[in-house]
Amino acid sequence: MEIIKIVGIGFIVTMLVLMMKKDRPEFAIQLSLTLTIIIFLIILNKVQVVLQLFYDLAEKANISMMYLNTLLKIIGIAYITEFGAQVCKDAGEGAIAGKIEFAGKVMVMVMAIPIIALVIDTIVKLLP
Amino acid sequence: MGLDLLFKIAGVGILISVFHTALKQAGKEDMAHLCTLAGFTLVLLWVVQLLGKLFYTVQEVFKLS
Repeated sequence: MEIIKIVGIGFIVTMLVLMMKKDRPEFAIQLSLTLTIIIFLIILNKVQVVLQLFYDLAEKANISMMYLNTLLKIIGIAYITEFGAQVCKDAGEGAIAGKIEFAGKVMVMVMAIPIIALVIDTIVKLLP
Repeated sequence: MGLDLLFKIAGVGILISVFHTALKQAGKEDMAHLCTLAGFTLVLLWVVQLLGKLFYTVQEVFKLS
C-alpha cells in the first residue's frame, strides 16, 4: 500500500537527517525538503482524482465554474503555504515561516473577495 | 519516483562531511570550506530542479496561474 512506502521512506530519511544534522545541518535540511517534495508529488496525483470528481459533480449540479475554480485556487494556495511554512519552521526560521503563512492568508482572502461580494449581493436581493 | 535522489543527497552530505573533516585535519582549512560549498551547490541544484517540478505540477493540478 502507498502509505506504508511513504512511512518507511520517512523513517529512513529521518535517520539520515539526524545523522547529518550535527556537523552538516544544511544538507540535513535539503534532504528533508527533498522528501517533503517527493511525498507532496505522490499525494498530488491522488488529489487530482478527487478534484476530477468535484468537477463532474459540479457539472451535474450545474454549479458555475467560477466558484469551483476559486475554491481550487484557495486549496492550492493553502497547500503550498503550508508546505513552505513547515519547511522553514523545520529549518529553525520561525519568522520566515510566519511571514509565508501571513502572505498565504492574505492571498486566500484576496481570492475569496469576489465570492463574498456575490453572497452579500444575493442576501441584499433577498431582503424585502 | 525520485527516491534515488534522496540517497544521492544523503551520500553527498556524508561524503562532504568526511572530506571536510579530513581536509581540516590535513591543515587545508580553505579547501575544506570550498569542498563543502561545492557539495552544497550540487545538492541545491538537484533540490531546486525538483522544487520547480513540484510547483509546476501544483499549478497544473490547482489551475493556479
